[in-house]
Amino acid sequence: MPQPVVEIEDLHVVLGRREILHGISCRLGVSGAGRAIGLLGPNGAGKSTLIRTLLGFHRPSRGMARVLGFDCHRQRRQVLERIGYMPETDSFVASMTGVEFLRVMGALSGLPGEIALEKAHETLFHVGLGEARYRTLGTYSLGMRQMARLAQAIVHGPELVILDEPTNGLDPSARRRMLDLIRQMKGEHGMSVIVCSHLLADVEQVCDEVVILKDGAVVHHADLEAERRANRRFVELEVEGDDSRLGEALEQRGAACVRESAGLWRIVLPADFDLRELWALAARQGLSVRRLTQRRDTLEEIFMKAMGLLRQTPGEAAAGEEVQVRGDL
Amino acid sequence: MAIYRRGYQRYDGPRTSHAERLAVLARDAWRRATAQRLVAVLLAVSCIWPLLCLLFIYVANHAELWGGLDRNFASILAVDHQFILTFMKVQAVFSVILAALAGPGLVSPDLANQGLPLYFSRPVTRADYVAARTAALAGLLSLVTWVPGLVLFAVQASMAQPGWLAANWRLGAGLVAGFLLWILLVALAAVASSAWVRWRLIAGALVLGYFFVLSGIGAVVNAIFRVEWGDLINPLRASYGVWCALLGAPMPSGLTLPMSLGALALMGVLLALVVERRLRPVEVVS
Repeated sequence: MPQPVVEIEDLHVVLGRREILHGISCRLGVSGAGRAIGLLGPNGAGKSTLIRTLLGFHRPSRGMARVLGFDCHRQRRQVLERIGYMPETDSFVASMTGVEFLRVMGALSGLPGEIALEKAHETLFHVGLGEARYRTLGTYSLGMRQMARLAQAIVHGPELVILDEPTNGLDPSARRRMLDLIRQMKGEHGMSVIVCSHLLADVEQVCDEVVILKDGAVVHHADLEAERRANRRFVELEVEGDDSRLGEALEQRGAACVRESAGLWRIVLPADFDLRELWALAARQGLSVRRLTQRRDTLEEIFMKAMGLLRQTPGEAAAGEEVQVRGDL
Repeated sequence: MAIYRRGYQRYDGPRTSHAERLAVLARDAWRRATAQRLVAVLLAVSCIWPLLCLLFIYVANHAELWGGLDRNFASILAVDHQFILTFMKVQAVFSVILAALAGPGLVSPDLANQGLPLYFSRPVTRADYVAARTAALAGLLSLVTWVPGLVLFAVQASMAQPGWLAANWRLGAGLVAGFLLWILLVALAAVASSAWVRWRLIAGALVLGYFFVLSGIGAVVNAIFRVEWGDLINPLRASYGVWCALLGAPMPSGLTLPMSLGALALMGVLLALVVERRLRPVEVVS
């Protein structure tokens, strides 16, 4: 069985006299698979507390949390050797230059002296701060400091990177750059990434898996990648022209479909169906395709449902319709 | 290949030991402490008194220089516990000023911009962090305390009559032990002040206040209540009591060794408590 990146069992965390996490249990990611996990939830849901518990900042009052197979509390050093953390708050040491800062952080994570310096330069170029690397951090703009924080989280080549609100306060181009870097971290460098963010669109763009927390408990855990694959088969098609023979042709190809109104079709495609065939079929019948959309649940819809603001997501509603269509057939 | 062309590569080679990581923290602290020009100036100024003491030792060991003078002069020129205590008192003042200048720069910059989570999210504990910062400051304070003291002792031992070292080894051992205790207290006070307030200037003022204002308060307590235990809240006086015991000098009135040690231990615990409460990766509001 593949080892999860994070394994939590009945985790309770009490801060002061208040219990923040109420018995969370979940298994996130697959070690070495280079997946990104989104950690979502409204303010006060316990996201930061969970991250800080994984980092060993808070001691669990009950239950256990393991990161990459190591207990976060009892084997804290082993855990911290393998992870990189980018805090949400604007954390830096103003008097240090970019290179100096990254060299010290890399060396503290176990990089030998010369390699720490080499990696400091390399990482600063990677995040786009190459030209500013000899300036003190106190002179950096907010966006540059954000990138410097990302750089210190990856300078030592961790297996897991935890990013707390990585795109907060960034302008659109910097945000795009940050998201690209996250994609590279998991895609090209095989790192597992945990992204804690309020920005659902960002999480949706880069994450393969999401966990939604509410009031200190996990209310939803979804594999976005699997959902994307599953929902790819459900399409809405709008055509212009005589579509009376379209249904028959689609059924011959193994698709289940229903004509909602003149020119508007809902189709459930078989697994081996290439979308280009649909275009070809429409062309053969002299139909103009006005709209072809692959319908899937957005992260926002999943989130709204988890928060109790939606009864069911459109995808769930469509799945119900699919059953209905197949029943009719 | 030029580094900017190479691109980012994950490091998967061997990692350094825990001790080497601690050394990184200590080196960083040392760099910060010595980066200030004022610290260098003060280090130079603090050499004046040891140089004068060196001259004194030279004169004391060359009777031909003062042979024609009063006979009682010989007793004034003796290199004994009184000489060592005087040397220690002066250098202790320098060490406090040095700690007030260099100490706040060790922790305050990390606190000022919430840098602590960056350290503690690495395989470094709070104890490691404090130990490394304190060690760097203690190293700096050593340059104005026991190191010149030991040099003076060695010079005296080499110039004195044979047998002086055997008869007075306690002076050297007491000087080093007394200063080490003092350095620990001063460094801890500097780190605690630095952890207490984020502004370096105020943290420095707190260090000075801790040693000099408390001395004043101790004296005021003694004067108002006509007691002598006021000396126990005076870190300089309590340390002086311990130094006297270590050097074999008579104890100051109203102080005993256990009382002085107890007072210093209590101060140390209180300062450590401040450090423990303030140096946390995240603040938890109950």
